[in-house]
Amino acid sequence: MARETLTPESPVEHPSPPTTPEEKLERDRPGLKEWLDLRLGWWGFVRKNLDEEMPPGVGWWQTLGNLLLTLLIFQFTTGVALAMFYTASPEGAYQSVKHITYEVPLGSFVRGLHIWGSSAIVVVMVLHTLRVFFWGSYKKPRELTWVVGVLIFQVILAFSFTGYLLPWDQKAYWATVVGTRIAGTVPFIGDSLVVLIRGSEEVGALTLTRFYAAHVMILPAILLALVGLHLYLVRRHHIAGPVVPQRGKPVPFYPNQLFKDAVVLLFGIGIVIYFALAFPPSLEALADPTGTDFAPRPEWYFLGLYELLKIMPPGYELLATIIIPGMISIGMLILPWLDRSKSRHPAARQWIIFMGLAVILLIGVLTLKGILETPVHPEGGHSAVANFVPLT
Amino acid sequence: MSETNGKCGCDAEVESPGKRKLLGWIVGVINLGLIAAIVGPVAGFIGSPLARKRKGTWIELANVDDIADGSIEEIPFSIEVKDGYRIAEHKYSVFLRREANSFTAFDPACTHLGCRIKYQQRQHRFICPCHGGVFDDSGNVVSGPPPRSLDTHKLKIEAGKVWLYKEV
Repeated sequence: MARETLTPESPVEHPSPPTTPEEKLERDRPGLKEWLDLRLGWWGFVRKNLDEEMPPGVGWWQTLGNLLLTLLIFQFTTGVALAMFYTASPEGAYQSVKHITYEVPLGSFVRGLHIWGSSAIVVVMVLHTLRVFFWGSYKKPRELTWVVGVLIFQVILAFSFTGYLLPWDQKAYWATVVGTRIAGTVPFIGDSLVVLIRGSEEVGALTLTRFYAAHVMILPAILLALVGLHLYLVRRHHIAGPVVPQRGKPVPFYPNQLFKDAVVLLFGIGIVIYFALAFPPSLEALADPTGTDFAPRPEWYFLGLYELLKIMPPGYELLATIIIPGMISIGMLILPWLDRSKSRHPAARQWIIFMGLAVILLIGVLTLKGILETPVHPEGGHSAVANFVPLT
Repeated sequence: MSETNGKCGCDAEVESPGKRKLLGWIVGVINLGLIAAIVGPVAGFIGSPLARKRKGTWIELANVDDIADGSIEEIPFSIEVKDGYRIAEHKYSVFLRREANSFTAFDPACTHLGCRIKYQQRQHRFICPCHGGVFDDSGNVVSGPPPRSLDTHKLKIEAGKVWLYKEV
């Protein structure tokens, strides 16, 4: 009888029966698993990502991003492990890397994974970038996904430049002396810039601690933020799909695309593991600032820049150190706005494709020239390049 | 064999349940393999100090005649130790007690939480400054939180000298 007297303003004392499974769970005092899922929404998140619709035609080329992410996770893990044994001082760095490489069980393998992983990251990152470039996937609405990707590219190069010094052997020391000197060619502020990067006029203890702090604290923090943003943007704007839309219905990410991802991961990571086992890392002689018989060489992916510097006539150094690399970097960053064509088809953006090919050819040829001219080190070939040369 | 069903709540092409399950399994196995490939070596690398074999060595502590009967003296000594990547001179000490011709070497680490104990000659007590642990001349707990007597080291008398066995 009381129910009949209820007005619309009065609260209903008896709640209506639960309508959704979530409501039912809330009322039925859920178990820990259900409670956690209600609070975190984890399973819904996973489902949403697994069911993400892929345009027809998406396939193997779209697995590179996932491979890159996995390589970065591997790199992060081996990096943390190496940091537990490493000492960032001119007295301790070389000895601690030697200890890791020759004395600690599995040390050679973990360091090998880190070294070969860094090369693999550069290779996969370049392939990933080229795929996006040729597919025109950077166009509206994915401009920022591309920009963040280019920033990740630059952060990764900074990672390898700073990481290269850490073993404090001849190769590391001299590559850093030359590499940091490049900043000195900047007009007006060059000399101050070198001091700022090195922490001193010369490469020394302060350079090592500066590079170490950048390598293990500053760069990982920046990379984490950028990768998070990149993934968010990829999910927000979805995968671009082939240049010419394919017929057929969209396909969910799971299981087909995830399966392709997993196969590529298996091969990609497998190759890194193979290289870490087949070409274990070693060390050159301890850094010697007075040594004159050592020809400084950078890691193979900086050889393009290195060769560019070599072929530049005197007086045009700035072109190789700042202007050309700077223009390539800025060109990459503003690519979505340089390319005004509406169509993603390569035929509709010929000059962009032409410019891209010119840059790829320039870097490719110079890198190849550098690799072919790299002497196999008499002590047994320690650098990644020297190890690689006998295979080619 | 693909069919469209509403499984993902979208209008997408969805694989048959059998294929979904099979591919899901393969993906799972590959992922587990990848996790093992990184966690295994890294865990072995980080955990390698557990497998380190300690080496024992005899150290000359003092001349028997230099330690008076009934006395307790702190004797410092140092050993070359492989400390990670470096060989370091590590400093140690023990409290050497003599009773007639019997010697005892007490480790200076309090058995509570490892603080360094001090010997108070007048009270004949070892005092731990951290949490008030007190031990008598024989190393037995008198008061405070320590759970057991002071640890002692293996000793030998040879050629008129006291030698201590230390594992590092």
